[in-house]
Amino acid sequence: MAKPKKNSSTRRGFLKGAAAGVAAGAAALVTDISIAEAQQGAARTEAAPIVVPPPMQAQIDRDAGNVRPPAAARAVKNPGSDLMVQVLRDLGVEFVASNPGSSFEGVQESIINYGNPPNVNPEFITALHEMSAVDMAHGYGKAEGKPMVAMLHGTLGIQNAAMAIYQAYYDRTPMVLLVGRDEGFIQAHTAHDMAAMCRSFTKWDATGKTLVESLAAIQRAYAEAMAPPQGPTLVVLDMEHQKEEVQGVRVPAYRPPQITGLDATRVRAIAKGLIDAQNPRIAVGRLRTHQGVKLAVELAESVGATTTTAATNGPMSFPQRHPLCGPGASTTYDFVLGLEAPGAQYSLTGPGLATLLSRDTMQVGFGGIAPPPPGATGRAAAGRGNAGANDIEIDAEASLKGIIEEVALQLTADKRRVIGERAAKHAAANQEARMKALNDAVQVRRNGWNGSPIATARIYAELWPLIMNEDWCLASPTGFSGGHNAALWDHNKPYSYLGSQGAAGMGYGLGASVGAALAAKVRGRIVINIQCDGDFNYSPGAIWTAAHHRLPMLTIMHNNRAWHQEFMFVEYMTGVRGRGTDRGHIGTTLRDPDIDYAKLAQGYGMAAEGPITDPSKLLAALKRGVDSVKRGAPYLIDVITQPR
Amino acid sequence: MNVKNLRTTVLLAAVALLIPVIAGFGEAVAAGQTAAQQPPGPATGNAASGKNLYYAQGCYGCHGFNGETGTRLIGSPSRNLTSEPGFIAFLRLRADQAPLLPATRMPNYPENSLSDRQARDIYAYIRSFKSTTPELKDIPALNLIIEAAKKPYTP
Ligand SMILES: Cc1ncc(C[n+]2csc(CCOP(=O)(O)OP(=O)(O)O)c2C)c(N)n1
Ligand SMILES: [Mg+2]
Repeated sequence: MAKPKKNSSTRRGFLKGAAAGVAAGAAALVTDISIAEAQQGAARTEAAPIVVPPPMQAQIDRDAGNVRPPAAARAVKNPGSDLMVQVLRDLGVEFVASNPGSSFEGVQESIINYGNPPNVNPEFITALHEMSAVDMAHGYGKAEGKPMVAMLHGTLGIQNAAMAIYQAYYDRTPMVLLVGRDEGFIQAHTAHDMAAMCRSFTKWDATGKTLVESLAAIQRAYAEAMAPPQGPTLVVLDMEHQKEEVQGVRVPAYRPPQITGLDATRVRAIAKGLIDAQNPRIAVGRLRTHQGVKLAVELAESVGATTTTAATNGPMSFPQRHPLCGPGASTTYDFVLGLEAPGAQYSLTGPGLATLLSRDTMQVGFGGIAPPPPGATGRAAAGRGNAGANDIEIDAEASLKGIIEEVALQLTADKRRVIGERAAKHAAANQEARMKALNDAVQVRRNGWNGSPIATARIYAELWPLIMNEDWCLASPTGFSGGHNAALWDHNKPYSYLGSQGAAGMGYGLGASVGAALAAKVRGRIVINIQCDGDFNYSPGAIWTAAHHRLPMLTIMHNNRAWHQEFMFVEYMTGVRGRGTDRGHIGTTLRDPDIDYAKLAQGYGMAAEGPITDPSKLLAALKRGVDSVKRGAPYLIDVITQPR
Repeated sequence: MNVKNLRTTVLLAAVALLIPVIAGFGEAVAAGQTAAQQPPGPATGNAASGKNLYYAQGCYGCHGFNGETGTRLIGSPSRNLTSEPGFIAFLRLRADQAPLLPATRMPNYPENSLSDRQARDIYAYIRSFKSTTPELKDIPALNLIIEAAKKPYTP
C-alpha cells in the first residue's frame, strides 16, 4: 500500500529503516527508546551479540514521572484518533478492553486523554491477554445485549484473540473489535488484510482507507454487531488515520440497524391466534436485548399465555418466576408461538450464522454452521437441520412490538376479562408447580452435604440466600459445577445467567465474568463467577484486571484439581480398551503440585481465601465474599470440590 | 476368576441382570426390583486398600469421593452393588461383551487391568461408605430457599 510519508520524521520512520538494515534489528525495536539508541542498533553487525542498553537517566526520570512532557507544542493538536474515540462515545461504548500495542497507540492515547472527563465512556480496561479482552467483551455483550470494544494489536493480538472471537461468533454475541495497523513500524505486526485472519468467524469487517471511512466503519461495525445474527465485527484502524491532523472532517451521522420484523398479514394471524386460543402458550428462547425481554413479558401478559423460558440456559429470556412462566393450569395448548424457539403454530427465529457463510473465504466449514460435507454420516450429516413448516426466519424481537399493538387492537373487553381470569389460574398453578419442583430439587441437593471435598450443590445452595435480594448476575457457565442454579435460583433478569461458553471453549469463564462485572459495576450489580480450575488457567491475568478496576466480582472456585471433563473421557477410553484406568490422570489432572488459587489471586492483588475443604467453613467464607463485592472489592474463595 | 468362570458368570449375569447391568451404576433397574429389597451379600475385601484403589482407578471421578455425589453409589438402586460376585461380574461384563461401545460411560475392567482381589477391595470400600446427608430440616440454606420461594414474584 502506498502511504504518504506524513510521519516519516518520527522514530517509526527511522526504526523501519533500522530494522531493514539489520537482521538483529529486533534488538533496536525492543528497546524502542530513542533515535540515538536505535542508531547504535543500526550500527551493529549481524554477528554482534544483542545487548539491550541500560536505560538512560533521562528515560528513568521520565518513567518515574520526574519530568514534564516537552514544552513544545504537540505535533498534532487534533488527532484523528480523538474522533475515533468521539464516535465510540457517541455510540455509548462504555469500555475498551485491551492489552497495549503500538499499532493503536494513537487510539489508546485518545481514550486516556481526550474529552472531559477523559477515559470515561469509553474507559480503557487493561487486559493481560487478548483472549481475556475478547472474553470480557463477550460477557459484557451477553449481559447488556450491546457491544463493548476489545482492541487488539496488529497481527499478534488478533491471533491471540482468535479462539475467543470464534466463540463469541458461535455464541452470536455483539462486540466490536478494533485492530491497529502500523505499516511504518514492526513489519511482523502488520499485514495487508489484517481482518482476513478471522474473517471466517466475524460478522463484518472493514479497513478504512481514510479517516472518515474509519469513523464510518466503527459506526457500521456497531450497527452490524447489533443486527441479527449478532456477532463480533472488526475494524482495522490504520496508524496514519489515528495520527493525522484532523482538518474539516465531520463525524458522519450514526444509522442504527433497521431490523425487519414480521409482515402485517402474519402479525394479524398471530395476534388472532393468541387471542382466539383457549390456552395459548409462548415459548421464549434467547432474544437480543433487555427491551426484547420486556416486550415478551408484555405480550404474554396481554394475552394471558403461559410461557417457557431459556433463562436457566442463558441470557435474554423470559423471567423464570413470572407468574405466567410454567406449565400453567392446563398443559393442553391450542396455540404455541415460538420466539427464537420452536412453536407448534408459529416460530419466529432470526437469521442464524449460516447466513454469514459467504464470509468463510478460507472454506473452514465450521461444524454446526456449514452445510454437511457430501457423503457425511451421523452427526456431521445433521448440519443445521431443516426449518419446520411454520418456522419463519425473522427476528422475533423486532416483531414483538407489531404483535403487541395488533393484539391491543383485536382485544375486546370480554376477551380481556377471560384473559385476566385465565392468567390468575395459571399463576396459581405455576406457583404450585414451582414449589413442587423446588421441594424435589432440595431433596436431591442434600446428598453429600457434609462431605469433603465439598459438594457443588452446597455452594449454590448456601450462596443463593445471600444474594437473592441483591441485583446479581451469574456470569460463569455452570454446567461443570452441577448447574444447580437452574433448579434452586430465580432467573428473573435478562442478565441473571449468561449461560455456557458458546462453543464449549475453555478459558472463557473468568474473562466473561470480568466483562459482566464491568457492566455490573456501573449499574450497581454484583457478579457471581463459579470458576472451574481448568478454565481459570488459560488466562488467569483477568483476575488482575478485576482487582485493578475494582470490579464487584465474587469468584468461587470449583476446584476439582482437574480438567475433569477430560479426565472422565480418558478414563472411559482406557476402560474401553481394557488397559486399566489407573493412568487416566496423566494430562487430565491438576495435582502435584496443587495450585493455590487464593495465593494466586492475592498475588494479583485480589482479596482471597481458601482452599476450603471443610464444608462447615463454606458459608462464612461466602458471606465475607458477598460483603466484599457489595463494597465493590472483588473476592476469590478457593473451594475444593467433588469432581461433579 | 478364570476365563471359563468369567464366561459363566457373565452369561448368568447377562440373563438375570440384563437391564441393570447395561444401565450401569446408579441407574434405574427393571420395574419393581430394587436392591433395597434384597439384603446385600458379604464384602470380603480390604476396605483400606480399596480406598486407595478407589482413588487411583479414578472411581471418584464419576461417583464422588464419598459415593454421594455425581452418579451416586450410596442409596443406589443398582443391583450391581448387592453382591461381591455380581459387582465383579459387572466390572468384567462389558469388557468382554462390548469392548468398543459400552452402553454407559462406565469403563470396562478386564481382569488384567483390575484383579479380582482389587475389585473385592474396592467393593469393600464402597460398602463402607457412610452417608453425610442430613435431614432437610437440618439444612438451613435449603429451608431458606423454600421459604423465599413462597413469596410473591416481584419483577
Ligand atoms: C480451549 C479449549 N481447550 C481444550 C478443551 C477441551 N476441554 C473440554 S472440557 C475441558 C476441561 C475443563 O476443566 P475445568 O474447566 O476445570 O472443568 P471441570 O471439567 O474440571 O469441572 C477441556 C480441557 C476445550 N473445550 N477448549
Ligand atoms: Mg476442574
